[in-house]
Amino acid sequence: MKKRRKITGRRVLGVLRYIPLILWVLFFAVAFGWILLASFSTTREIFSNHLLSSGIHFENYVEVWKYNNVGHYFINSILCTGIPCVLIILIAAPAAYVLSKKNFFGKKLTFNGFVVGMSVPSVMLIIPIYCWFVRANLVGHLITLVILYTAFNVPYTVYFLTAFFATVPSALAEAAMIDGCSEMRALWKIMIPMASPGIITVTIFNFMNIWNEYFMALIFANGNDKIRTLSMGLQNIITSMTYTGDWAGLFAGVMIVFLPTFILYLFLSEKIVAGVTGGGVKG
Amino acid sequence: MGALGPALLCFLVMFVYPLIRTVMMSFHCLPSISSRSADWEFVGLKNYTSLFTSSVFHSAMGNILKIWLIGGVATIVLALLFAVILTSGVKWKRFWRSAIYLPNTVSAVALSTMWLQYVFHNKFGLLKQLSSAVGLEGLAKINWTSPQYLFWGMLISYVYGCVGYFMLIFLSGIERIPRDLYESAILDGAGSFKQFWHITFPLIRGVFRTCVTLWTISSVNFFTWAKMFSPNINVKTVTPVYLLYNKVFGEANTGTVLDAGSGAALGVLVALLVLAAHLIMNRILKEEELEY
Repeated sequence: MKKRRKITGRRVLGVLRYIPLILWVLFFAVAFGWILLASFSTTREIFSNHLLSSGIHFENYVEVWKYNNVGHYFINSILCTGIPCVLIILIAAPAAYVLSKKNFFGKKLTFNGFVVGMSVPSVMLIIPIYCWFVRANLVGHLITLVILYTAFNVPYTVYFLTAFFATVPSALAEAAMIDGCSEMRALWKIMIPMASPGIITVTIFNFMNIWNEYFMALIFANGNDKIRTLSMGLQNIITSMTYTGDWAGLFAGVMIVFLPTFILYLFLSEKIVAGVTGGGVKG
Repeated sequence: MGALGPALLCFLVMFVYPLIRTVMMSFHCLPSISSRSADWEFVGLKNYTSLFTSSVFHSAMGNILKIWLIGGVATIVLALLFAVILTSGVKWKRFWRSAIYLPNTVSAVALSTMWLQYVFHNKFGLLKQLSSAVGLEGLAKINWTSPQYLFWGMLISYVYGCVGYFMLIFLSGIERIPRDLYESAILDGAGSFKQFWHITFPLIRGVFRTCVTLWTISSVNFFTWAKMFSPNINVKTVTPVYLLYNKVFGEANTGTVLDAGSGAALGVLVALLVLAAHLIMNRILKEEELEY
């Protein structure tokens, strides 16, 4: 009798444990589902709680896109996310290779330097860098964000890839070097292709972080409409639309910002999840 | 060795030098942010002392303390709960894991707009409709964007956005624990709670420490959500980084006097808090290499 009670107890717990999961996920699904429907409705329908009662209003998207330079913001976001993602790997992958495969004086110090660099708050660095950019007349150009996003993501990427290179056997590269291949060539032709799963994981992770970055974009890309990123653009759309009372357009703007990373996540969620915990944890 | 060059250069130019420069700036009064160091006026600790005596700085510190403590307990408890549920052999584990992490991949601007313009909206908001539907009129009347509740609304939405990340870290820790430990515990008649308390919890102490450190860093750096919830500086939601932003980069029309020296002092304080978090957590939960 006692044993049976214990088994039913376990079965009840077995069902109960789904409840927090369902509530948590359902909340997000309902909220974004509602915003999706609202983005196709009119503002009047949103306030009277009759979403979509006059059919689908795709023009919300057209108007947001047309009157707010969203296409422009999109290109800016792609440029100042894509270019750093490539540059980071060009800088970090060779360094990670050296740190994981070579022995030299000061290796541990260098590696620890990158680890400390990961947890230095960017507010501690941004003031002198801003000052340089002002003097070099770069403020108001996308290149400021490209430089910052590249530099600030190098330490974590070095850290992540150092751990990854340790799992890549170096016998093939060594054999190639004995056959007269230069070390640089062996690195780019053999080691880096072999490390590509790790490089892809960390790049997806960097991509998501940079795409959604807010603090530096606010400082360097908000004053000038030409270089606003998508998040900054959305923020301005929201501010203006809460004044004009165009909630339908506002939610269309939210969807435009939400969809790119959401679609990426649908296809790459396993890789993205691996990027978070793969090389230890980001500081 | 030359392969290390670019990364090292980047590190020295973009980390080491600005770090030293910010520390120096914090002891000076700067005519403007871009003025040369020859024009800086040495003021000793004045930037720090005037911060410590300003009431807005006290509000900022009080706010991040509340975020750290209350938000931290909520986030870590929820994240641990989800991680334990997901490792207890639920169906569609990968789906749940991806779905709970999803909010972390959404731009904070879009996510905070979802909360501010829909969930907390006082006309058609989700919370209002839900609580009216189940008869909680008191809850339905709360205007989450009013000054009284703004901070709590911000904290709830921030915690919701963070849980997925901490859940992933706990998950990776729990998955490293060998299954046979649980199997022998089940044979000995240990229930789910006993298994958690006597196996899972002691063995993920290191992960727990990582999570507390990461949470501390993110509370000290708290900015984006504060800026989204109150576009203009507000004592209810101000944080040290918000204050720094306003002092160094703030728009002239907000009436704040731009003061890069004082901003640099705030940056140094933020960095010291992060450093302290690392040191304290290393001391409290001293890493014991457990063999398993």
